[in-house]
Amino acid sequence: MKMCKCEHLIDDYLFDRLDDEKKKKFEEHYFNCPNCFEKMVERDELISIIKLKGDMIFQDEYVVEEGKGAAWFEKIASLFTPKQWALISVYAALLLIVICVVIPYFKLAAPQFFISEEKVRGESITLISPVIDIRIVPSKFEWKDSDDDVEYKIYIYDDGQKLWAATTKDNFIVLPEKIRKQMTLGEKYSWEVKAFSAEGTLIAISSKVHFKISRSE
Amino acid sequence: MEKKKQDTNLEEIYAKYGPVIRFRVRKSLGASNPDWEDIVNEIITNVIEKINKKEFRGESSIGTFIYTITSRRIIDYIRQKSKVLKHAPEPTPYPDPHEHIENKERAELIAHAIKKLKPKYREVLHLYYYKGLSREEVAKKLCITPHRVSERVNYSQKLLKKLVKK
Repeated sequence: MKMCKCEHLIDDYLFDRLDDEKKKKFEEHYFNCPNCFEKMVERDELISIIKLKGDMIFQDEYVVEEGKGAAWFEKIASLFTPKQWALISVYAALLLIVICVVIPYFKLAAPQFFISEEKVRGESITLISPVIDIRIVPSKFEWKDSDDDVEYKIYIYDDGQKLWAATTKDNFIVLPEKIRKQMTLGEKYSWEVKAFSAEGTLIAISSKVHFKISRSE
Repeated sequence: MEKKKQDTNLEEIYAKYGPVIRFRVRKSLGASNPDWEDIVNEIITNVIEKINKKEFRGESSIGTFIYTITSRRIIDYIRQKSKVLKHAPEPTPYPDPHEHIENKERAELIAHAIKKLKPKYREVLHLYYYKGLSREEVAKKLCITPHRVSERVNYSQKLLKKLVKK
């Protein structure tokens, strides 16, 4: 049955709680609104029965006629009204759509990050070694390999100044002897790796890692 | 042909507005008032006469037209009684204690259905309808919002309808 905007006045009308003007307006309304009139008659009947039967109809214990399973189900069902359950179902369905459709859709888009002035799409590269202080001049630099067909460019810096750079398709590179000799004990160095696609687009980059070649005792 | 159509309309009006007029008159005069049924018949006759005399010109809805006739007749009756009794008749308490429930079997069914309701619904019906507390007072007593009180009352009514139909 359709809900009428005047329905909330039914109880107040029956209990004579409306002022004269509201009362007249509501009376005229129910002469024109079969929905309100029908509900008012039902309410009137209910109130009459409650008043005439007295307090006793509220004193008896509530008896669950259905089995225990049904009682358990009813307990949960009674937490909310059918209207609220319908709303909860709609929200749950929306949440499911977001989880199953929207999130995977956005996951396909690569993350974006910034390096200096450059805007880069892609993932970051994880450096493997050297990443901590070492005792000897390293001969090999290694990082985690990407699944894509990429070309890596490695940069080694001495006190912020570029010492050496090279490119490779592998996920490691062996330092030439000439460069190793330029690296001295007790000094701090840093290195980073960038990955480029076949078209030369920068698609991934590592963070700049610092390491120190300690003097051996 | 036109006469037949008019008769059908009057029958429809009688079927549709008869219960509304009865309700309004009984509420105003009380079911214990011996005159209430006569007043209802007078109003219905008056409505039919006015419609036949083309006094209803469609300036308002037919519902408002019948409401106006009903209200005027009730006011006239109360004035008339006031003159005879030297004072206006006592307003009847709600619900009228003399009012007999037409269908006793149905009343028993509803009373039984109320007993079957869950305590939270019976509690609201008890405070709201039996004790006659306002929505806000019931809400305060049960530590819920007035809106929730209305929801429970409406839901109880739906449950009762369902239980009575079973």
